[in-house]
Amino acid sequence: MASWREHLAEQMPAELAREIDVYEGQLELKKQGKIEDKLFGEARLRRGAYGQRYDNGQRHDGISHRSLPFPTAATKGTETVWDAPGMQRIKIPFGGLNPQQMELLADVAEEYSDAICHITTRQDVQLHYVHIEDTPDLMRRLAAVGITTREACGNSVRNVTACSIAGVCRCEAFDTTPYAKAMAYHLLGHPDTQDMGRKFKVAFSGCNTSSCGLTNIHDLGFIAKTWQSNGIPRRGFQVTIGGGLGAVPYDAQLFDATVPEEEILPLAQATCRVFARLGEKRNRGRARLKFLIEKLGLEEFRRLVLEERKILPPDPRWTDYLKDVERYHERPAKPSSSLNRANLDPKLEAWRATNVYQQRQAGYVVATITLPLGDITSWQLRQLANVARRYVGDNVRTTVEQNLVLRWVSEADVPELFTELERLDLALGGAGKIEDVVSCPGTDTCKLGIAASRGLAAELHEQFVERQKQGAIDPAVRDLHIKMSGCFNSCGQHHLADIGFYGVSRKVGGATVPHFRVLMGGEWENNGATYGLTIGAVPSKRIPEFIDHVTQSYLSQRHPGERFKDFVGRIGKKALKEMVDAFSSVPSYALDRTLYSDWRDPREFTISDITTGECAGEVVPQIEFDLQAAEQRNFEAQVYLEQNETQKADEAAYQSMLIAAKGLVRTQLWDLGDDPDRIVAEFKTRFYDTQLFQSPEAGQYAGGKFALFLLNRHADSGRAFTPEKARHLVEEAQLFIEAVYAYYQRMSEQQAKARAKVKPGTPVAEAAV
Amino acid sequence: MMDLSKFGIKFFAADADGFDILKLIPVYHRWIQQGALQDLLIDVADYSHVPAGPGVMLIAHEGNYALDETGHERGVVYYSKRRLSGGLSDRFCLVASKALRAAQLMSEDAELDGAVNVLGDHLEFFANDRLAVPNTDAAYAELEPALKTFLDKLYAGAPYTLTRETDAKERLSVRVKAASPAPLETLFERVT
Repeated sequence: MASWREHLAEQMPAELAREIDVYEGQLELKKQGKIEDKLFGEARLRRGAYGQRYDNGQRHDGISHRSLPFPTAATKGTETVWDAPGMQRIKIPFGGLNPQQMELLADVAEEYSDAICHITTRQDVQLHYVHIEDTPDLMRRLAAVGITTREACGNSVRNVTACSIAGVCRCEAFDTTPYAKAMAYHLLGHPDTQDMGRKFKVAFSGCNTSSCGLTNIHDLGFIAKTWQSNGIPRRGFQVTIGGGLGAVPYDAQLFDATVPEEEILPLAQATCRVFARLGEKRNRGRARLKFLIEKLGLEEFRRLVLEERKILPPDPRWTDYLKDVERYHERPAKPSSSLNRANLDPKLEAWRATNVYQQRQAGYVVATITLPLGDITSWQLRQLANVARRYVGDNVRTTVEQNLVLRWVSEADVPELFTELERLDLALGGAGKIEDVVSCPGTDTCKLGIAASRGLAAELHEQFVERQKQGAIDPAVRDLHIKMSGCFNSCGQHHLADIGFYGVSRKVGGATVPHFRVLMGGEWENNGATYGLTIGAVPSKRIPEFIDHVTQSYLSQRHPGERFKDFVGRIGKKALKEMVDAFSSVPSYALDRTLYSDWRDPREFTISDITTGECAGEVVPQIEFDLQAAEQRNFEAQVYLEQNETQKADEAAYQSMLIAAKGLVRTQLWDLGDDPDRIVAEFKTRFYDTQLFQSPEAGQYAGGKFALFLLNRHADSGRAFTPEKARHLVEEAQLFIEAVYAYYQRMSEQQAKARAKVKPGTPVAEAAV
Repeated sequence: MMDLSKFGIKFFAADADGFDILKLIPVYHRWIQQGALQDLLIDVADYSHVPAGPGVMLIAHEGNYALDETGHERGVVYYSKRRLSGGLSDRFCLVASKALRAAQLMSEDAELDGAVNVLGDHLEFFANDRLAVPNTDAAYAELEPALKTFLDKLYAGAPYTLTRETDAKERLSVRVKAASPAPLETLFERVT
C-alpha cells in the first residue's frame, strides 16, 4: 500500500508538498523530544492544527475533574497532550470552492474527523476531533486539490475573506474576487508576514452598503471603488485599517479613500512590516494591530506605512495579476434562463423568498444552502458537489454566516435544484433570517469557551424553525440577526447582531451558573458598521424567553417601519437594562437545578475546563523557525548521505548553513533576499568581521572556525563532490547551526536584560529599535 | 495483506417514532463518568441539528460512537480511528463488539426507555480509509474473505446477504442482512 505522500506526489504543488514533508518531519522530531513545546506549538498552529477543549488531558465530568489517561504523556505544545484530539482549520480564500474540493473535504472529514464539515464566520472550514498524526496526510490530500492549511491559525495572515456574491452582486463597484485571491496568495508565507505578534485579518467588500464583506471588523479592509483620474477611469479601493472585534471591538478607520489597484499588495505588505516591527509581542491582550494604531495614532501609523512602502524592494507580483483581472470571469454550467413563476410549490416559494438572490446577470440566481450552525455532513457535501457540478460548475462559496452559496444557477433550474436539495436535507429556508443563528464552537470544542453557545444556538434555531413553519414569526422579527459567542472573544461576531450574546458565568449561592451577556442594536449591514451595546447578563436557560420578550416589545412599541437598531437607540439603555433585569434572576439550586447546567450539556456547570487558548499562538521569533528549517535541511543532507547521493548531501548541508545564516542576518536586515552571495557577505560583515560570532560571550559553540565552515564552503563553488567531503560538510553544518543557536540565545538574553532596564513610558518606536 | 484499522460497523435500529435523540446526551455523559465502555471516553458531540447526520456522538480516543441517523436510518455505529493489531477478521470482531456493547447499553438504559431497539440482523460495514481500501472491486475482493469470516462468526453460520455501495465516490461499504435477528448479547458473545 502506497502512502498518501507517494500516491499524490504528482498532484501536489511541489512547494506545498515540501512544506508538508517539513511539517511531518517536525512531528517526528517532536515525538523524539527534539523540539520544544513552544516552537512546535506555533509551528503546528501555522499549519492550521489547533488545540481543542480538554487537550490538557483534564476534564470536569460533572462530578469532579478527571485526568484523561491518554496512551502517552507526550505533548504537542505547552500543556497540550499529544494524543488529545484537535481541530484542523482549513483556509478557503474568499470562500471559493469547486466540486472536487468539496468532495475531498467530505472525504477527509469522514476519515480523520467526525464526518462533519463546519463552516466558520471567516469562510474557513473546520474539522474537529482530529489526531495530530493524521494531519500531514490530511494536508497532502487537501494540497492535491489546491487547498492549503498554511497560516490558518497562529500569528499570521488569516483567511482572506470576501463577499460571497462578489461578481454577481447587484450593487458592487466591481468583482473583488481576483483581488482577494491575489492578496491571499501574495501574503501567504510571505517573509514580511512571518514575524507578527498576533493574527492579521483581511477582507474585501464590493460596496459600502451591504454586509457581506464586513470590512469594519478587519485589520485591513478593501472596499471596491471606481473613480476618474484626469478623465481616465480608475479602479481601486477605499482602504480601512485597525478594525477588530474581540473583547473590546474597534471600528476600522479610513486609511485612504482611493488606493489604486496596483498599490493594494505593496500597501498590505508595508502594513504587515510595520505591524511586525512595532506591534506588541509580549502582552498578548494588546498585540492586535488596532492597539498599535491606537498607541501611535492613525496619522503616525499611516506615515510609517507609507515610509515603509517607499523602501519595499519592488516585486513584479504586485501588478502581474492585474492582467488576469481583466480576463477574470466565472463560467456558468448552464445558459441563462427565466423561471416560470406560475404554480410554484408553496414550499419552493417560501425557500426562494429567503434563499435565492437575483444576480446582476439576467437569468441567473444565487442559491443559499442554509446550514444549521454551519454544519454539513460528509455525505451531504459529497452529494452537493454533484449537484453543483450539474447546475453551477465551480461556483460555490462559503459565507460568513456559516452557509454555502451556489452561484450562477440558471433561473429555470430553481425548482429542480430545490428538489435535489430536499433529497439531501439541504433545502432549509430562512437564510440570513432570525432562525439562521450564527455561533462559534463555544464550550463544545473551544478551550476558551465559557458557555455553550452552540447548545443555545441549536435550541433557538430549532424553536424558530418550528415557529416559522406555523407562520408565527412576524416578518419584522424574522429579519433580525442573532449571533453568539461562547466567550468575549467574539468569534461568533455577536457585536454585529441585532441581538448578540457572549458567554459569561455568575456565582449564585456558591454555585456557578452559565449566563450570556446581551448586546443589542448591532448593525450587520454596511460592512458591519455599528457594534451593539452591551446591556447585562441573562442566565443561559432563560435566553429564549428573554428573546421573546424583547421581540414582542419591539413589535408593540416600534414606530412604523422602524428598524430594530433604531428602536434600541430610541428606547435607550435604561429601558433595555430593565428588560434584561427582568430575566436576570436565578432560582435557588434547591428550587430549580436546570439553570445550573448549560444547554445540551447536563453536567453541573463549571468554568474550570477553560484553559489557555491558542488563538494568539506563541510569539516565536522568525529566527527560531529559520534555525529549525536549517536543522531539517541538514537532516535531509544526512539522509542523502546514507543514500550515497553525495552531491545532493553536500548541497543540502551547504543550504542548511545558508538558512541559519540568513535567519541570523535577518535579525538586523529584514530585506535580505535569497541570494547566497548576499547572505554570506552580510553574515561576514555583520557577524564575522565584527568578531561578534567568535566573541567568548557568544558561547562555547560560537568560535570563529564555525563561521569559517560557511565562508569556506561558499568560496568553494567549483568543488568536486566526494563522499568524504560531503560527510565532513554535514558535520560542519550541524556545528555551524549550533553556533548560530548559541549566538542567538546569548543575544536574546542580552536583549532581555536591556529591555528590563528600559524605563516605563519609553516611546514604543524607540523601545522597539 | 490488506491493512485496515479505520473502519466502522453500524447496527441498524428499529424505528422509534417520536424518540428525542437529545435524550442521549445525559446518557453519554453518565457513561463517561462511569467509564461504561472500554475505550477512553472523551466528550459528547451534539449534531442533532443536522438532518440525517451523525446524531449525538460519544467521542473516544480509539473511535467514535453514535446513534447515527445517516440516510434517515437510525443505528448504533462505532468506528475505529486508531491503529489496530491482529488479523483483519479479528479487528472486525473487535469493532463489532464495541458497537454491540454500546447498543446493549442503550437498549437497557432506563432514561432511554427502550427506544433504542437494535435487532442485530441488519448491519453496515464501512472502510473509512480510502488509501488502504478504496471502493473498488479489487479492494472488495481482497476484503471479502475476512469480512465473511467475521460474519460467519457473528451469525454462527446462519445465512446472510451482502450488498455493496455502488457509488464509487462513497466509502467502500457493505450492507449485511441476516436471515433472522439474534439477541445482542448473543452476537456480542460470538465476537468476543
